[in-house]
Amino acid sequence: MTTSLETDVLRFLSQPEEGKFESLALAIFNHQRRENPVYAKYCEFLETPERIDSWKRIPAVPQIAFKRSDIRSFSVEETTTEFRTSGTTGEGYGKHFFPSLRLYEAAVVRGWDYFRLPRHRLILLMQHPDEAPFSSLSRMGGILTNFRRDRFAIAKNGGFDLDQLREQLLNREAALTLFGTALAFLNLLEVFPARCLELPHGSVAIETGGFKGSGREIGKRALYEQLSVRLGVATDSIWNEYGMTELSSQFYSSGIGRSHRAPPWMRFQVIDPDTNEEASPGKIGLLRIIDLANLWSVLAVLTQDLAIAQPDGGFLLLGRDPDVLPRGCSRAMDELMRSAR
Amino acid sequence: MKLDDRIAAVVSAAAGFSWLGDLTAENIARWIELELGQYLSDPRLQTYGSQHCLTFPLSPILHIVSGNTPHAALQSLIRGVIVGATNWMKLPQEGLPEVDTFVRALPKEIRPELAGDLHQCWMEEAEAIVVFGSDETIQEFSRWARPTQRFLAHGHKISLGLIWSRCDPHIAEGIARDVFPFDQLGCLSPQFFFVAGDSAEFASQLSKCMEKQRLNLVAPVRDRGLAAALRAFREEWKFRAATEPGVFLWDSLANLDWVVIHDPNPGLVTNPLHGTIFIKAMPSDPELALSPIRRLISTIGLSPVNLESVSLAIRSGAQRTCQIGQMQNPPLTWHHDGWPALGSFVRYVDVEGL
Repeated sequence: MTTSLETDVLRFLSQPEEGKFESLALAIFNHQRRENPVYAKYCEFLETPERIDSWKRIPAVPQIAFKRSDIRSFSVEETTTEFRTSGTTGEGYGKHFFPSLRLYEAAVVRGWDYFRLPRHRLILLMQHPDEAPFSSLSRMGGILTNFRRDRFAIAKNGGFDLDQLREQLLNREAALTLFGTALAFLNLLEVFPARCLELPHGSVAIETGGFKGSGREIGKRALYEQLSVRLGVATDSIWNEYGMTELSSQFYSSGIGRSHRAPPWMRFQVIDPDTNEEASPGKIGLLRIIDLANLWSVLAVLTQDLAIAQPDGGFLLLGRDPDVLPRGCSRAMDELMRSAR
Repeated sequence: MKLDDRIAAVVSAAAGFSWLGDLTAENIARWIELELGQYLSDPRLQTYGSQHCLTFPLSPILHIVSGNTPHAALQSLIRGVIVGATNWMKLPQEGLPEVDTFVRALPKEIRPELAGDLHQCWMEEAEAIVVFGSDETIQEFSRWARPTQRFLAHGHKISLGLIWSRCDPHIAEGIARDVFPFDQLGCLSPQFFFVAGDSAEFASQLSKCMEKQRLNLVAPVRDRGLAAALRAFREEWKFRAATEPGVFLWDSLANLDWVVIHDPNPGLVTNPLHGTIFIKAMPSDPELALSPIRRLISTIGLSPVNLESVSLAIRSGAQRTCQIGQMQNPPLTWHHDGWPALGSFVRYVDVEGL
């Protein structure tokens, strides 16, 4: 059954048919509810009916569930890969288990290609998966570059591999694509304050993630403007990849103030936090994601990120406000809890 | 302005704020008498042991207040006005409309000056500085204060309840009265309740009364980011309730008005407040369980109130104990954070050999 579902999802990834999304999503939901005891309990708690008729009614687990439980829709013994979240919030790390990475790999590659992102001369501001075996981002980079070591610009010790970078930047004959976390880009600019980092004509920068745990914050506009000046690329040629360890697929947007869009095997809803129902158009809410490639865990995840659905079918990502909680006297307890960690 | 006139002005201005307590001229006079004897009302030298004494208000007093509740800000201001000080108040960025209203109702000659931005000269000229806020806020202002200035810090505090009773409508109503005012953001707002006996049953019974209790109050205005954080927190606990033994959750339908969470683990957890009620199993040694927050505890609400429960609360670090349902209503004469409320705002002059 699982193998057949995996085949169905793989087929959908390579030949998406809008009309088949819902039936596939519901089939995966039924499978996960049956095979994943943690998810089954959650559905029972929410009094989810045995049969539901829309992907929009599939219960989404909160992102933090991946920290609190093992979310597996297959047996423990079949586990071959484990990705982990960074754990920078001090509450431990989230885990995403896989019995096979076939779907994950397909989702990464098909998603990248769907948005016509260049794969030639892809330089990764990240560690090779051998050095970061639990990082889904490193694995993603590996998949996109056939795990070639010379494409990874962060050394084993976490610092920049200067020789590698210098060599890539000096070759100005062909455009390149620089892909890394926003923090890695920021570090790059800081490590080489005086060095010319200008990329060859037609190059693209793709940043992802935030600054969690770094103690640094910079707005998207300021980051893109800095990158544009130092890398010599237009802000429209800077992309954001919005993904997370808990998912298998990614959303993408380019430039500043533009929508994130999904590949055909993903959907999203913006949830009104007051009512826990879908927000009316144009309203800010929590982002709830359906990812068909998440066959091995749960396909619906409620994030802690704020977003606004856009008329173009995408969403404007607002992220989360780190200062919103705790407030007032709950800060006393929060500070105590943090110091105890 | 004379003391009696100041008292009358405070009583009149406070008339619209029932949550400030029973602010009558008689009660204020009794409060002054209790804390300062004749010092405020009689300007002559008073006998004090073998010497004589006079008091003078510390003046001006700079009040730097936080935005969680208007309660603490107004209490501080009222104390300053009563002792006869000139009062300046630095308001939080988002303002405090209740303070504006109160101040406008005072006569001009004792009307405090309010500002959203701190005037540097206030910091330099104030004789006393009162700061409400987080540790960082207090540290920041304490760096600027001079040794000759009296610096009074009211940091964030934690309040809680200890309950050995069953949950009946009376207790549920009391818990609602303690939790819901100021959207649970005050230092007197309980963050959790330790309940002896069947704590899960207590939580279940409490949840049945919450909808009715919430209806009695004006729904708080919350911005979208805050609502989202509260929703995310609530969904996390729903997941925990579904998957962890002994965790139960009941919440208001289609809104974020209230949530009751039963957590069998007596360990301390962060509460996002805003109508979040944690019912936790009473630990075998509550004093030990509360020891990490001992220095942060403000009020412990009790049910029942008896010598044993009061003694346990005091040993655990309470600055104040009271009946469940009265946590938000300290008497006029209470010692906020353990200090004399009026006495902290005056200085004594000792006269010997007369």
